[in-house]
Amino acid sequence: MGVNFTVSNKDTVKGSDVLFLAVKPPIIPFILDEVGPDIEARHIVVSCAAGVTISSIEKKLSAFCPTPKVIRCMTNTPVIVREGATVYATGTHADVEDGKLLEQLMASVGFCTEVEEDLIDAVTGLSGSGPAYAFTALDALADGGVKMGLPRRLAVRLGAQALLGAAKMLLESEQHPGQLKDNVCSPGGATIHALHFLESGGFRSLLINAVEASCIRTRELQHLADQEKISPAAIKKTLLDKVKLESPSLSLASASKVSLFTNKSPSSKKN
Amino acid sequence: MEAAELRVGFVGAGRMAGGMARGLLRAGKVPAGSILASAPSDRNLDAWREIRPAVGPHHVVVSLAAGVTLQKLQRLLPAGTKVLRLMPNLPCVVQAGAMVFARGSGASDEDAALLRNLLTSCGLCEEVPESYIDIHTGLSGSGVAYVYLFAEALAEGAVKMGMPGALASRIAAQTLLGAAKVMLETGEHPAKLRGDVCTPGGTTIHALHQLEKGALRATVMSAVEAATQRARDVGED
Repeated sequence: MGVNFTVSNKDTVKGSDVLFLAVKPPIIPFILDEVGPDIEARHIVVSCAAGVTISSIEKKLSAFCPTPKVIRCMTNTPVIVREGATVYATGTHADVEDGKLLEQLMASVGFCTEVEEDLIDAVTGLSGSGPAYAFTALDALADGGVKMGLPRRLAVRLGAQALLGAAKMLLESEQHPGQLKDNVCSPGGATIHALHFLESGGFRSLLINAVEASCIRTRELQHLADQEKISPAAIKKTLLDKVKLESPSLSLASASKVSLFTNKSPSSKKN
Repeated sequence: MEAAELRVGFVGAGRMAGGMARGLLRAGKVPAGSILASAPSDRNLDAWREIRPAVGPHHVVVSLAAGVTLQKLQRLLPAGTKVLRLMPNLPCVVQAGAMVFARGSGASDEDAALLRNLLTSCGLCEEVPESYIDIHTGLSGSGVAYVYLFAEALAEGAVKMGMPGALASRIAAQTLLGAAKVMLETGEHPAKLRGDVCTPGGTTIHALHQLEKGALRATVMSAVEAATQRARDVGED
């Protein structure tokens, strides 16, 4: 991609103005302790960690910087193809311009809007996890196509295009999705027969359940992050294992924090 | 022919005829003296044979007999008789009925217009292809019963939560009436109207989730399907 890469979080912080924290939620407190001393007034710290609150970040950073600019953001994977869905909430010391700057950046990779922080967990459940629901649906739709005789590649291509097209129609239309659905269902036709199957299977309630479950889990993760507990599952995927073997690192401020690793600082980046 | 000079006869004086007659009278469309009803008994087809000699070219014969097709009626009556087949529903009696009718080969545009004009006094009245009549049975003829079931369940929910039954029942009925009125008067899609009631994280969306978990939509679709299919089966006997 041509992007600069370093193993030092410190260098990343020093060399940036807008700093995205893109590590897993339980790691955030440790990262903040590590980079805290290098945060200056000019930095806009943007956390993308699910469930990690602005106040928890501000609390950590205020040990090093009196008025840290913090923005909390929730995006999703389709930013890769510039069709992301992003929301952000600004912290106590982030100005309107700081929010607008982030919005400009994220709007270049999809839809971006500001929200109240208390909505972000719901956004996680809906559009954060949403692509996974869509991939699952697409896989199953393709199976349906294959069952009825289509080659797999074609089935995948057509299924994806159908969802893409439907989403585009909805975004460009004033009409309610229920109305758009009706427009596809001719009386006694194929589509309405199929929809009856979906309804019988509780399709709608499954999707509602999914969004709810993801949102609730996000809140649980937030709780864990607040307590600065790391689950074994979170650890094994990071470089913390390596860190244990290295000599203890840098920041003097780390002595004041509560940590499972009493004399080491994590220096991991998101893998 | 003006509705005022019209004489309306009901062959069969059961609930359906009674409901429609009452509806017509309440609406003042036809004076009571112009309505005549005869009550043969349950022998529907015999009744038609009985009246056949008396049916003339000026008569507009409207059959409410469930499952009896226009084809069958036209066979039983003199050739060229103006026959229309009507499927109403019980709320005709309070002038809030839903009726569809199909015309036979001998019935003209004027005959259809006459019938519609007469019956709009009882509620909604639309001309349809004959094939829709069984569907109307499943949707609205029987549909009234589905609504009563839903109303009863709503009230029971309220009773469970501590409201007296009679009050709950009245409120349930008014809720259905009001919602239906909004739908008919605004012409908006029910999905949109539903969304309008749902404040984020509020009581309504929590309740709707329960309904979706119970696959209410699919069950209702199946009910309409079952009644329609039954109407078709009975019609073929």
